[in-house]
Amino acid sequence: MNKDKTLHKDIRKDFPILSKKILKTKDLVYFDTAASAQKPQVVIDELNQFYKSHYSNVSRGVHTLSVESTLRYEDARKKIQSFINAKSENEIIFTKSATESINLVAQTFYDKYMSTGDEIILSLMEHHSNLIPWYFLRDKYGVVIKFANITESGEIDVNHFESLITPKTKIAALTHLSNVYGSKIDEKVSSICKRNNVAILLDGCQSAAHLKIDVQKLECDFFVFSGHKTYGPSGIGVLYGKENLLDEMPPYQGGGGMIGEVTTDKVSYAELPAKYEAGTPPIAEAHGLGIAIDYMNNIGIENIINHEEELTKYAYEKISELDFVKIYGDGDNRNSIISFNIENIHSHEVSSFLDVEGIAVRAGHHCCQPLMKHLGVNSTSRLSFGVYNTIEEVDIFINALIKCKEFFIK
Amino acid sequence: MNELLKELYQEIILDHGKEPRNFGECETHNKSAHGHNPLCGDKVSLTLFVDDDDIIKDIKFSGEGCAISVASASLMTEKLKGKKLSYAENMFKDFTDLVKGTEDSLSTIDEDDSLYALKGVKDFPMRVKCATLAWHTFKNALKE
Repeated sequence: MNKDKTLHKDIRKDFPILSKKILKTKDLVYFDTAASAQKPQVVIDELNQFYKSHYSNVSRGVHTLSVESTLRYEDARKKIQSFINAKSENEIIFTKSATESINLVAQTFYDKYMSTGDEIILSLMEHHSNLIPWYFLRDKYGVVIKFANITESGEIDVNHFESLITPKTKIAALTHLSNVYGSKIDEKVSSICKRNNVAILLDGCQSAAHLKIDVQKLECDFFVFSGHKTYGPSGIGVLYGKENLLDEMPPYQGGGGMIGEVTTDKVSYAELPAKYEAGTPPIAEAHGLGIAIDYMNNIGIENIINHEEELTKYAYEKISELDFVKIYGDGDNRNSIISFNIENIHSHEVSSFLDVEGIAVRAGHHCCQPLMKHLGVNSTSRLSFGVYNTIEEVDIFINALIKCKEFFIK
Repeated sequence: MNELLKELYQEIILDHGKEPRNFGECETHNKSAHGHNPLCGDKVSLTLFVDDDDIIKDIKFSGEGCAISVASASLMTEKLKGKKLSYAENMFKDFTDLVKGTEDSLSTIDEDDSLYALKGVKDFPMRVKCATLAWHTFKNALKE
């Protein structure tokens, strides 16, 4: 506990935005890292420095700046490879967002491995970005989508999931860590997929900065995450795919950088990873993400996990003591995210009230409308933690929540 | 308590948010529309009966949402009942200006008006959509 406190005291100094005053008087309590993480000074500085001293297009020229940019861009790829323990850097594709990563897989996986009537399994708690790309396939090609149930505690019902698999099931696309419940996927799901020869995509947007990621241990075929939720810039996403699959699947977009040879009659494609990176990629953003990964590694992923576990546990206990608050999901298997509602107060009111107290929480459906329907609610409030949050901030939040209830329910 | 919050959640807003007036569906209606705020999931359904002289004879709403969006819909129905459509359209403009804080001079809403209670929304830019959802739905109903 003591060690932990020293840890985050120093860490807060790394994030200049944390000294901002909300409404000129209130200290910022940033509990919305699940929507987007704040950026450490080193990432901000490196982006600046990159544009000042090294910037040019990548993989195209032979001049000095092109080389300097390309080296940094490819270096970021290597850092990500090691960060998620991929076998090869060819398995790391840069995209503009995790959303684009999923769209890429949906389209190209279908093109290579699926046809009308084949089946996809999703869960009821997927983010819209892991629903709509698959809905496109349903609408365009007549594939069938099945939804795995969610248990009361906020996890995929593994037995139900397994019962959905048929010989026509080709892929399952599931959240690695729920952005509403904070629950981590049961590792059995991957082995069930493997046993049944079903490919699996894990949406790692909420896990990449909060759990130790090892794509080989996870036994996933695809893993996606975004830069901006991992203390890096927005405008960059990552797709991990097993090399044999990425090799076999067709390209997603056509353009510069993804070609082997072009004539007026035909085109051959570049080798991995360039095959999937048409057009000028987010260059500085990739570099920024590499720096953000260095930053997390310097703190130590284990330290980050321990710190956030302690915060989550403490907050869960404190909120549970408030009889007017309903928490969604239970206390075990919960990582850095707590969604809740105050009885008879809409989440908008809660969020506006907390905002005036300097506290940033997310209100709304969290891009999970099917899950909201399943829960029988219109919206929830959500607090989510990052490496910079503290126990003291949780106490401020709890006091504000009590005041909020008193304000609206007299 | 913070002044901005007091301004936002005036008694009348909390009252209409909890016990909305004109809630339901008009027995007979000739105009209707559904409104939806895709960012937060708030919903409103509006039915109106407009007579041959363009007078809004009846107006009701249903739906779900936060106190601001429900109160705004409730206050809107109270205000619009009995009004001529041309006047109602001016009111739409005045109201949206008021909650965005871009009003110059208001021709249809004065400081004693119940709608004026929603002025506090201007200090919460993310809530403007909550306050204007019912009004945009009204606008859409007229397009039918």
